[in-house]
Amino acid sequence: MKKTIILLSIVVALLLTLPLSAQKRSNQITTSGSTTVLPIAQAAAEAYMDKYPNINISVRGGGSGVGVAALQNGTVDIANSSRPMKSKEIAACKSKGISPSFYAIANDGIAMVVHPSNTVKNLTVAQIRDIYTGKIKNWNKVGGPNLPIVIISRDVASGTFEVFNEKALKSAKVDGTAQMLASNNAVVTTVASTPGAIGYAGLGYVNKDVKVIQVAGVTPTEATIKNASYPLSRKLYMFTNGKAKGEIGKFIVFIQSAEGQEIVKKQGFISLN
Amino acid sequence: MKSLKWIVPAIAAIIFVMPALSFAQELRVGGEIWNRWTYESVKPEGSDATTLKNYFALERGYFDLRPKFSENTSGRFTVDMFSTDSQKDGAGLKLKYGFIDFNNLIPVPDMTLTAGLQKVYFGTIYDWDYSLITKAPTDEYKVANSADYGITLNGQLPSGFGEYAVGVYNGEGYKAFGKTLNISPEFLANIRLVPIAGVTLGGSFMTNSVDQDTCVVDASKYQKQMLMDGMARLAYGPVDVWMEYIYKDVEYPNIADGSRDYTANGIMVMPILSLRSLIGSDIQLIGRYDRWDHTDNPKDKYLLNTITGGVNYNFMHDEKESPKMQLQLNLVQKAYDEDESSSSYAGKKKDTTTVMMQLKYKFSSTIK
Repeated sequence: MKKTIILLSIVVALLLTLPLSAQKRSNQITTSGSTTVLPIAQAAAEAYMDKYPNINISVRGGGSGVGVAALQNGTVDIANSSRPMKSKEIAACKSKGISPSFYAIANDGIAMVVHPSNTVKNLTVAQIRDIYTGKIKNWNKVGGPNLPIVIISRDVASGTFEVFNEKALKSAKVDGTAQMLASNNAVVTTVASTPGAIGYAGLGYVNKDVKVIQVAGVTPTEATIKNASYPLSRKLYMFTNGKAKGEIGKFIVFIQSAEGQEIVKKQGFISLN
Repeated sequence: MKSLKWIVPAIAAIIFVMPALSFAQELRVGGEIWNRWTYESVKPEGSDATTLKNYFALERGYFDLRPKFSENTSGRFTVDMFSTDSQKDGAGLKLKYGFIDFNNLIPVPDMTLTAGLQKVYFGTIYDWDYSLITKAPTDEYKVANSADYGITLNGQLPSGFGEYAVGVYNGEGYKAFGKTLNISPEFLANIRLVPIAGVTLGGSFMTNSVDQDTCVVDASKYQKQMLMDGMARLAYGPVDVWMEYIYKDVEYPNIADGSRDYTANGIMVMPILSLRSLIGSDIQLIGRYDRWDHTDNPKDKYLLNTITGGVNYNFMHDEKESPKMQLQLNLVQKAYDEDESSSSYAGKKKDTTTVMMQLKYKFSSTIK
């Protein structure tokens, strides 16, 4: 009994002496997750903080899975994701008392990019799959130059890879020669400097140094992504614990507003409406 | 030569595993190290306290390889290198996991077929994250093994409604194989439901047998077991409470009068208070109460009450904000009920007080 009292006293003392001033402030919003969503989140956060100087928003990347895990751990207010939340992740959130809510904030297309010197203009989804699984190894098999194909992919932890895997690869195994890169920027940069390369990246990351090709005869444009006729179109999300309220809710409403959607467009992505 | 005892299987394992890893699309290397100080004492009635244990040890040294062969096929190979006094060189080696996951092999969404040395989906043992240094109740009271050789179908219910598993295992755990196994496999079914955020309810059922192979030598040892487990978890804000009920029914088929048949049961309640959202520092306060009624057989029956108090200080985190380096302090008091235990447990002869302090470190990196 004496030991129990001592133990309880220690616990109470710990609780009383720990720095309670470290409590999280209500004007602080933390987000992390998808590197694809990162530029939207950063630009929106800057615009929002300019508008409301008393609010402080911290934005981090890491990948969609990292953001969801951080939401599960209760260490972020918003998880940014370039894919829907998986059943396993929803269950893990719920079992920890986190009730995930999902907010679409933008449309995006995964653009297939090649070196500007490549004459290929269009690939079918099946051809993309055959290239990425190593069945097609030379551009001349798909109407291009006699040039070995260099496969550039995103790392398998990224939300972009997961969407590409679902929509293009249909879960087939990526060829072992593929370079698995950690960011959209790295993919674009590598493709721009490699004549035989093919890669994919969020539309917002594409620049003039690479050539965007059609997929199944469809060019990734605002119209084809919004009406989902472009085969590799997707939505980008923000996840919160419960219905977004207070400053978190206001921030998400801001991104979904006309003003926020202008930011989405400026970052090279497609607005919701 | 004896000192090479564990090096040989380690090298053999590497030789067999490395070629398979070369096919991997992605390879994650990780590990976990548990350095622990343990102090345990006993104080029988009318006697001075006696120190039973007082030592530092590397209790676990996991080395983990997780290859991803395709989006649908991945694996895990984990060995545990630990301190032990049963080997002359003071180090032991155990295979912990060695399995392959096949996703979507069967056309059911979110279903995985897992083959090999894997987790046993029983009670809380398969997702026990050692918030306390002590083991999961089913592991602690030798009801189920934490890992075993077998095949399972496991997966997720739609919309994050929970998870399930059915499987068949050897039944003797990850330390046993070959001639040491009996001929009857273990069958398991497990379900976890998360009907609303913060409420998890689960149930497990398992049938097993022990010493069936030795029945020719000593038929009396053969036993059939039926194991059941119910769990509940309530999480709200910084509070997370785990509860578990375990039931074990043991029958000796070759002893006609049923004199050795028995049942055992136990409960566990473990509240966890996470202070991170309250004070900023990632500190957890944990309590645990166990009540294990070992058997109703008068010869070796006992009723054990265990109270554990613990503090965790997580002072480094990974990118997912999960603890990467953790300091744990536990106080464990075991007391055998005088009225419900046999004479060998009377007079506080086996009541112990244990203090453990543990520094736990995890690492992982994708190298391919």
